[in-house]
Amino acid sequence: MQPIISFQQYGFKYKNQSEPTLKEITLDIYPGEKIWIAGPSGSGKSTLAHCINGLIPFTYGGETSGSLKIAGQNPSESSIFKLSRTVGTILQDQDSQFVGLTVAEDTAFVMENKAMPRPQMKREVAASLNRVDMLEYAEHSPYELSGGQKQSVSLAGVLSTDAEVLLFDEPLANLDPASGRKAMQLIDDIHRQSQKTVIIIEHRVEDVLQQPVDRIVLMNEGRIAAIGTPDEILSSGVLHGFGLRPPLYVDALRYAGVPLEGVSGLRLPQRLDIPDLKEKLDHWCETCGDVSDRKTAAPLLEVKGLNFGYEAEHPVIKDVSLRIGAGEIVALLGNNGAGKSTLSQLITGILKPQSGELRYDGQDIGSWSIRRRGEAIGYVMQNPNRMITQHMIADEVGLGLKARGVPAAEIKRRAEDALKVCGLFPFRNWPVSALSYGQKKRLSIASILVLEPKLILLDEPTAGQDYRHYKEFMDFIASLAGQGIGFLLITHDMYLALEYAVRAVVLSGGRVIAEDAVAQVLSDPAVTEAAHLKETSLSLFAKANGLASPERFVQAFINAEKKGKGHE
Amino acid sequence: MNRTGSLYAPGNSLFHRLDGAVKLVLFMAWTVMTYMFMDLRVFVPMLVVGIALLVTAGIPFRRMAFLFWLMIIFTVLNSIFIVLITPTFATRLTGTDTPVIPLGYNTINSETLFYVLTLSAKYLTLLPITILCIFTTQPSAFAASLNRIGVPYKIAYAVSIALRYIPDLTEEFRSTLNSMQARGMGISKEDGSIAQRIRNLAAVVVPVLQSALHRIDSVTNAMELRGFGTQKRRTWYSGKDMEPLDWTMAVLAVVLLAAGIWLKVQVLRGFWYPFS
Repeated sequence: MQPIISFQQYGFKYKNQSEPTLKEITLDIYPGEKIWIAGPSGSGKSTLAHCINGLIPFTYGGETSGSLKIAGQNPSESSIFKLSRTVGTILQDQDSQFVGLTVAEDTAFVMENKAMPRPQMKREVAASLNRVDMLEYAEHSPYELSGGQKQSVSLAGVLSTDAEVLLFDEPLANLDPASGRKAMQLIDDIHRQSQKTVIIIEHRVEDVLQQPVDRIVLMNEGRIAAIGTPDEILSSGVLHGFGLRPPLYVDALRYAGVPLEGVSGLRLPQRLDIPDLKEKLDHWCETCGDVSDRKTAAPLLEVKGLNFGYEAEHPVIKDVSLRIGAGEIVALLGNNGAGKSTLSQLITGILKPQSGELRYDGQDIGSWSIRRRGEAIGYVMQNPNRMITQHMIADEVGLGLKARGVPAAEIKRRAEDALKVCGLFPFRNWPVSALSYGQKKRLSIASILVLEPKLILLDEPTAGQDYRHYKEFMDFIASLAGQGIGFLLITHDMYLALEYAVRAVVLSGGRVIAEDAVAQVLSDPAVTEAAHLKETSLSLFAKANGLASPERFVQAFINAEKKGKGHE
Repeated sequence: MNRTGSLYAPGNSLFHRLDGAVKLVLFMAWTVMTYMFMDLRVFVPMLVVGIALLVTAGIPFRRMAFLFWLMIIFTVLNSIFIVLITPTFATRLTGTDTPVIPLGYNTINSETLFYVLTLSAKYLTLLPITILCIFTTQPSAFAASLNRIGVPYKIAYAVSIALRYIPDLTEEFRSTLNSMQARGMGISKEDGSIAQRIRNLAAVVVPVLQSALHRIDSVTNAMELRGFGTQKRRTWYSGKDMEPLDWTMAVLAVVLLAAGIWLKVQVLRGFWYPFS
């Protein structure tokens, strides 16, 4: 069989870079295969995707070496439009991808560009939307859709082109766990029904593996580091070395000392055929699964019976109470629209509650202005680029103090202290643009820390970061918590909550539906379903293998992670 | 404004069914008519027709309230200023002077009062047609009809794409402003002098602009990957073909405009003042 995509000793160097981003890539992808290209940020996996869909060389120029053939043709002798008839791309950012003012218009976009007559277009749009089960939303605007629904619409648009290859660029970014699972399911259904070639670029291992893939291509530093089936890759234990996180139960098996060489069926949290597995794991749970004594910290922020609605008859926050102690990391979980961001705006004072009480350090802060609250409770946005307004690092950190009329000498001292805490002191005289995304993220924390708040709200702190950066950043947050700062993590990343938070508060439809230790919350199917979360793969694995106590299994895993055992 | 960023209010009136380009032609003809005359005998019928069309379109009043009151307030203020500053202005047009209200420094005459009435009617004549065009036209259908009357599709599509992303940008702007406010660099009273608050507002523009540029980049990629701009022509999902009704209205607009020009040249040349 002829490969549909064939890289031979292929290399690529962007125009304004000195080092090639892709080196000696040799990879044949055959029609009908389902390929997953994995790797940490900067491994070259997005560049590889650009080479396949024609953004390289048509949008991003540079030098190539070796050969690349797509459907037997050299892409540089084709055009981006001709290539789009072979390779349909679904981009990571669903909002940029969704250009139409309605679902139907967006689905029709390719047909419009092909100058298809309107009556035929109407028929094909309806057929395509039907395939992804979105027909009833045809006249909806993108603002009425969830991220997952937008992605389904993009898929409908690409399916209408009859492209033989479907390329998904980080399909799981920006999706909550339940939508992510649905997206993977939809991709798999399409793959099986249409026999199209599917290429998925992702760094979230466990979520991708919920559905079968034929081959995993691991990228690292611009090269292909390994190619293999899921079992081969998972049992060899190479993922950690490439900044990727294996499914949690695989790590748990490793922590428990279960040898995995040659084990098959690791892709899903299912019953494994390993002699004495249950006994070994039960023993591990017994010895390591104790809940560490939770010291009850003095309450720092208390929210009591908060009610809020933009219109009185449609409350979006209903009788919400929660408590964060000094040095505690608490996770606020919930699906989009559950009221997470509204609640954070109520805490920072941007919105005023209709009723209820907010106490900070024992004082009622209901009457405090946004500015005054900002000195006690910091708020860090998801994307640091949206918070940074200054050119120089030191200026950015000192900005909040300058606005408060603090003398210059004190600004300098406090800014330097904050930069030291965040590990950015050596860069204090650098321009902001010289920092990496992760460093900018720290800078945004530094510019809040300088105001010396005792509580910080972090909005989706790890979104879009690969596992290595994620871990670096969260370990840093945990160290700040160790110094007594309280954190509220606003997130739909359940693993983030599981590993770093002492407690989780779950919002659904504006109400708190659960508040407990994270492992408890995430083992309760009623709660996880209502909040668009998933039961953790750990507890699914424990149940599938008949372990005595799934809760202890989860806890043993968390304890092992906290000890920092295992990695590297 | 609804969340799609357009002001479109769905419905099935005459104006809703009309083609976007025809509406544009009607609007232009109407505007030219209005600006040609200074004659209440023309404005009153136009105003009556306009209001009748507006009422049948069934646009909820609260949707158009802002625009409506803005125009009314503008017209009233304009009239007050004219009367107070130049109380005998219309004498220059009519050659007569009928004093009515003494002001001390001058006396308002009835010519000027009638002039102000005519002028207000003139401005208000534009109100119903403007509201109709804005609220009954789907932006993408409008882009389609612009393209049909000869506007290059890349330009016509810009209308639609701008409407698509303006709400995203305003949302980003708002959330950035909120986070700045917590750091003490907001735009409310406690954040300092007016100058300081303007500086704070300007600072927010930096990240929002940066994110807009980033957004443009990825939207451009998304559009290119889906074949935008590679063919000479494109078709449009929204909108429809010209129907007899559209042709009739377009012809009607042109005929009325021609009749108006004839009237202007032959009969109703200047400011009409019935009491001289």
